Formats: sequence, C-alpha cells, structure tokens
Amino acid sequence: MSDISITPPVEKAPQKKAISPLRAAMLDFASSPLAMIGLVVMVVMVLAAIFAPWITPQNPYDLSQLSIMDNNLPPGSESFGGQTYWLGTDPQGRDMLSAIIYGLRMSLIVAVTATLCALAIGMAMGITAAYFGGRIDTLIMRVVDLQLSFPAILVALILLAILGKGVDKVIIALVIVQWAYYARTVRGSALVERQRDYIAAARGLGLGHARVMFRHLLPNTLPPLIVVATVQIAQAIALEATLSFLGVGVPVTEPSLGLLIANGYSYLLSGAYWISVYPGVALLVAIVAINLVGDQLRDVLNPRLRR
Amino acid sequence: MPNTSSRAFLMSASAALALTAGAVSADTLRIGLASEPTSVDPHYHNLGPNNALARHIFTPLIEQDAQQLLNPGLATEWEAVDDTTWRLTLREGVTFSNGAPFTARDVIYTICRIPLVPDAPSPFTLYTRAIAGLEAEDDHTLIVTTDGPAPLLPNQLATFGIISASVSGAEDEVSFDTDGCTGIGDAPASAEFNDPAFAIGTGPYTLDAYIRGEELRLTRNDNYYGDAPAWEQIVMRPLTNAGARVAALLAGDVQMIENPPTQDIARIEGDGFVISSGLSNRVIYIALDQGDAPTPGIAGDTNPLQDARVREALALAIDREAIQQRLMLGLSEPAGELLPAPMFGTNPDRPAIPYDAERARELLADAGYPDGFQIVLGTPNDRYINDGAISQAVAQMWTQVGVQTEVDAKTFSAFIADRNGFNFSAFLAGWGAGTGEMSSPLGALVATRDPDRSLGGTNFARHSNPDIDDRLVEALQTVDDAERERLLREASAIAMDTFAIVPIHYELTTWALAPGLEYEARADQYTLGFAVTQAD
Repeated sequence: MSDISITPPVEKAPQKKAISPLRAAMLDFASSPLAMIGLVVMVVMVLAAIFAPWITPQNPYDLSQLSIMDNNLPPGSESFGGQTYWLGTDPQGRDMLSAIIYGLRMSLIVAVTATLCALAIGMAMGITAAYFGGRIDTLIMRVVDLQLSFPAILVALILLAILGKGVDKVIIALVIVQWAYYARTVRGSALVERQRDYIAAARGLGLGHARVMFRHLLPNTLPPLIVVATVQIAQAIALEATLSFLGVGVPVTEPSLGLLIANGYSYLLSGAYWISVYPGVALLVAIVAINLVGDQLRDVLNPRLRR
Repeated sequence: MPNTSSRAFLMSASAALALTAGAVSADTLRIGLASEPTSVDPHYHNLGPNNALARHIFTPLIEQDAQQLLNPGLATEWEAVDDTTWRLTLREGVTFSNGAPFTARDVIYTICRIPLVPDAPSPFTLYTRAIAGLEAEDDHTLIVTTDGPAPLLPNQLATFGIISASVSGAEDEVSFDTDGCTGIGDAPASAEFNDPAFAIGTGPYTLDAYIRGEELRLTRNDNYYGDAPAWEQIVMRPLTNAGARVAALLAGDVQMIENPPTQDIARIEGDGFVISSGLSNRVIYIALDQGDAPTPGIAGDTNPLQDARVREALALAIDREAIQQRLMLGLSEPAGELLPAPMFGTNPDRPAIPYDAERARELLADAGYPDGFQIVLGTPNDRYINDGAISQAVAQMWTQVGVQTEVDAKTFSAFIADRNGFNFSAFLAGWGAGTGEMSSPLGALVATRDPDRSLGGTNFARHSNPDIDDRLVEALQTVDDAERERLLREASAIAMDTFAIVPIHYELTTWALAPGLEYEARADQYTLGFAVTQAD
C-alpha cells in the first residue's frame, strides 16, 4: 500500500480506463468552466503579486517616489513627470494601479503565510488529538471549541489591541484565529482513518507514533484540509482587509487592499470614487476567484458529491 | 370634485415641502456637532465643545469676539489700579434665567467653586490661580488682587461663565480665601448641571433637555440682558461621523454643521449651501525630541535632532503650500510662528517657513548626515483636520531629502498616551491658544518644562532655552501691553530662529449652513447658535 495516496478509498468501481487518480481529479476539476475561470484569475493575481516590483509603474511604498502634488487625480490623468495614472491617484499621490497590485501582494502574503502557519499548527493538533484520543483529545478539542465560540473578528481585534500594529502582528492574529478550523477538520477525518486496517498494520509493524501519525494517517486526511485551506485563504484576505480598514492592520505607509479602501472611503461622497472602488473590486475578484476554486476542489475531493 | 381636492392636497403638500426644503423654519436652529460636550457644567472640562455650549447658558465676566478681542460681558469695565490690583465694574440690572438678580456674590462664588469641581479632566484653575483676593466693594464693584503682576487677568476672566450662588446652595455671605472660601455650602457635582432646573445662568439661552449622545435642546432666555437672539429654540445633535453630518445638512435635518470635510466643501457650496471659514488660533506643528540621546524612533546612539541645523533642514523640507493646496484644499494658512498675525505677540513681518529641499540637504550634510537617517513620525489620525494625511505628506517630503520616515498613526487617545510617555522622536500635534495671545503656545510648547512655574506642560520635545524662558516669564509679569508684546515677539522670534519647534500651518475652521444663514467664523472655533443670523 502506498504511503502517499491522496485519494481516499472510493466505494464505486474504478473507471474502465486506468488513469492516475491525480489526473482524474484534474479532469474532474476542469469540468466546471466557472472554476477554471476562477483558477486563471487566481493564477494571474498571484503572478502579478509576485512580480509586482517589475510590472508596476511606481513603488507605492517608496515615499520618495510619491508626490503630494499628484494627489486625487482621476483615472487616466497624467503626472507632472508625464506618467499616466490609469486608475487615478489616492490622497497621498500614489498611483492606484501600482498601489492595488502592491496591496494585493501585501494581502496575499499576509493571508497565505497566516494560512500555512495555521494549517501546520492545526494539523499537528488535530492529528495528535485523533491519534491519542482520551484526555489529550478532550483537552485540545475543548480549546478548539472555546476558540470557535468567539467571532473571528473580535478575537483578532483584541489580539491586535494587545500586540500593536505591524504586518507580523496581523499574521500572528490571523494564525491564532484560524488554527482551530484545521484542527477540527483534521481530527474528524483522522478519527475515521484511524480505525482502518492499514493503520493497525503499521502499528503492528512496530512503527513509532510519530511515523504512523505523519507518514500514514496524515496523507489520508489531506483532501478535506486542502478544501478548508483554500476557503480559509479567502477568509484570511477578507479578515486582513477588515482589520486594515478599521486601522489596526498594516502600517499606513504600506497599504493593503483594505487600507486602500479605507483611505478612499471619506472621498466617496465628494466624487473621487476611484480611490475606494478599484481596490474594492480587486478584493472582490480575488475572494470570488479563490472561493470558486475552493468550491470545485470540494466537489472533486469529496467522494459523497461524486456524480 | 376628486380632482380639485387632490390638487388642493398637492398644493398644500408642495407648500409644506417648500417650507421644509427651505430648511429654515423661523424659530428653531438645528446644529450638527462634530463632537459632543462632556457636560453642561461650565467649569468641568476646558474643552472647545463644552466652552461653546456654556456660552449659550452662562455668560463670562468678559466676552471675546470672533477674533478673541475682549468685550464687556457681565463686567462693563475693568482697570488695573496697580500692578496687582484690578477693579471690575459689574453690569447692573442683570437677572439669572430664574429671575434672581446677578451680584458680586455670584462672581465670588463661581471663582470659589472652580477648584472644587470633582474629577475635572481639565479644570479652569489654570485661569483662577493668579487670584489672591476678591472683595466686593458693593453689589456691583469687585476688587481683585493677584499674587503677582497678572497682565492676562482679563483674558483669563473671559474663559469661564458665572453660575448662580443661590441655586448652587451658597449662604447669603460668600467670602473668598485662597485656603478655602466660607459660606459656599457643598459645591455641586458636575452631573447636577445636566438638569435644566440647576443649569441657571445669565446667558441668551436656558437648558431645556440634555440627552447624552442624542441631543441638547436650548430655549431662548427672555431675561437675557443683551439683544434677543433670532432663534426661539436651538437643538444640537452630536453627529461625529463627517459623512453623516454632511448628509444631515444636505437633507435639511440640520441647518448648520461643524467641520465639513475639506473634500466635500466644493459640493456643499455647489448645492447652494453657505460655507463660513476663518483663521483659527490653532497651529499644527511638529515637535522634535531634543531631550535624550539616543531617542526612540531613531537608530543609533546619537540624537541628530539636538542639532539646530537638522531641525532647520526638517523644517525647510516641508512644502507647506503643497499641503495647503493639495490636502487642505485652501483651508489652512502656512505658518511661520505658533499663532497667526495679527494676534497679540506675533511678528507680523515674519513669513511662513519657506520650502527649500536643496538647502535642507546641504544642512543635513553640514550636520554630518549626508545620507540622512531613519525616523518615526507619530501622529493622531482623528483629531485635527486631515492630521493623518498631513503626516504622510511630511513623511514623503522628509524622505525626499534623505530622512527615511515611517508614520505611526493612531487614534488620539492612544497617541496621547505614547506622546506623554516620550515614546516619539517626532510627532505632529496641534495647539489652540485659548487666551488668543502668544504666551499660550510659547508657555505650553516651548518653555522649559517646569511644573512649579506652570510652564512647558506640553513641551514633550523637551526643548530648553533660557533666552526664551526669561523673556516669557518677564512678559507674564508685565502689565504694560506694549512692553509685554515686545517681549513675547522677541521670545517667539528666538524660538523660530532656533527651530525649537516646527510649525506647519494654522487651521481654518469651517462651518456649513443652510442657504440664507450667516455665521462669522470664530478664531476660538466655538459654534455659537445665537450668533447665527438670517441674511436678508
């Protein structure tokens, strides 16, 4: 038996033509055009975020490149330097297009880092709880219950009030808010897997706890985790945007999408719509794209939803 | 027949609409406040919104006009008999809103009560501390003695309203003593003034209802000695969100709002509403920590800000006109001192600090920082007009001359806590000169920190220069106006020449009013409903 098979055991008879499970999953995924669009948008956004320093006309975090004389210009205006601001400028004279791409970069860095850390912590906790059971299980799961009984935004606000401002602090807050979801998900599927023969066999061979947990049990609990992680990245982006909008997130001189929206909020009534609206659209598109991909992944990886 | 009645209905409806759309019913003025007074008690909290509300109900001995020049109030005349003695002549025939006559006893009682206000967050003792003796020659003549020359006494007497001794539970004989007055009974707690039966004054209005967080209703006082104001009723509603305030004005829910956001002013004016704006006594400045080396927010063991050349460089690097035009949209005046000319003690010939990035780089190189340094600029982001945005603009301008600047923006209460703990190397803040003359900003922001002399209370930059201190202390004891003004001018010029502090601009205070209303902008930023008139 392979250690790292990623499809859970399926009751249905395998398809006639022998294709690898991974390829089958990919074909399944591609069957939804909406999800493919989501995937393409997601990939484009991730690439734009990664290559932001090379593709943006301006570095909006470098204060020496900004000029207050260029502030609040409508989309399509030209600067004194002859540069065109396709999406206009904000009250500090930042090029909105550059600011949105950098903001997206900031939002994605914060969300992905926080999700990966939370995933690692949650996974370890969930597997430990399921594998050992008994008191350890009770202890970990009560902490998880306690954590999940508070609204995420409230916990994050309190944490940031204590920790102070900064990108690292936001990531810490997001990790603390999110790890419980993963712990709960992993524990659920690990409890089922634990009863199966291959685990008994592995134990029978005299393998150590750690090896059984991480080499045998963990790989078989991954599919639901992948789905949860995808959805949680979108959640993390939204949560970070909310925190920044409320002024407790990233520093004002390095705006994320949420802070850009907050910057333009007071200008909405006076007609300078572009400062808030474009970052808002970018945020919306990013979250919808990730959710589309996440939904389709869930359909593909969940045997009960198999058509 | 149905036709006629529906037309009649339409006509009456449109007539009613026209009335409300005009938004000014002849007898009630509704005002949207940017921040709510914390109490009706005129002696509880020395804060703009409280003082403005108090002016409606309680009259001070001496009034300040829109430019903060002194006018008779409950005192018709005041003169310095000698260096430490003042004679005040009180207005005759004045009654409180409950009909009781106003006499010298009420003045003595008020000055006795000011130090006794429990838990006052910002007490008025600052303005009564100089008074060493109060003697009523008769019911309408008061002799004030001070413990030293107190040239600012008239300005100080203009800061607080007079309350009724009888209503507050005083005995028939009230006598003043710095160690404790006699005959004053139990001084009332501030909360009692929120009750209309207790808030009895000699002002143009009486309190009708005070519903915290909702509204404040005032009714015209028919016993008021001055000209009767135009409005039968004034209703004040706290609308702290700027957008909500503008929306309420445009919808006709209120006829006057404080501080419309700068970016909305063009639109408000375009809709036919009236904008009133004028120079305030508030300067927005940047303080540079000169106390310690090292200083928080600047890496390394030295404090470059102790070098006047560095401070000059930072001052010259700020493009004040750009901030005025692009961020304040004209609603500020670039500053060269801590108080705008022609207020008392200013140097009228001193221009605003110029913008000269070249010279700033040279000065930094001369001081040994050719590559600049890194600094954190602390700022509130919800206190002064566009404060957070101004700090970000300053950060831009400093970074462009080589001083890498990071902005630490926070809400005002959190900012104050950090500033008072000396956690900032550089911070942006504002100072409104309550007395309307130069000793106020110099004494608070620039004079050496010295609690015993009540100087330097807000000097968190810890600048210290005896040349300034000596002139200031002398000015504070000089009763002769011309001589005092000369000393204050000199002190101010020294402070500016040594860049003890870096002024940015004076705020213009703005009000927006419904079409057809007029309000003269006040330097003290007070919103006084009784001074709003209908243009004809």
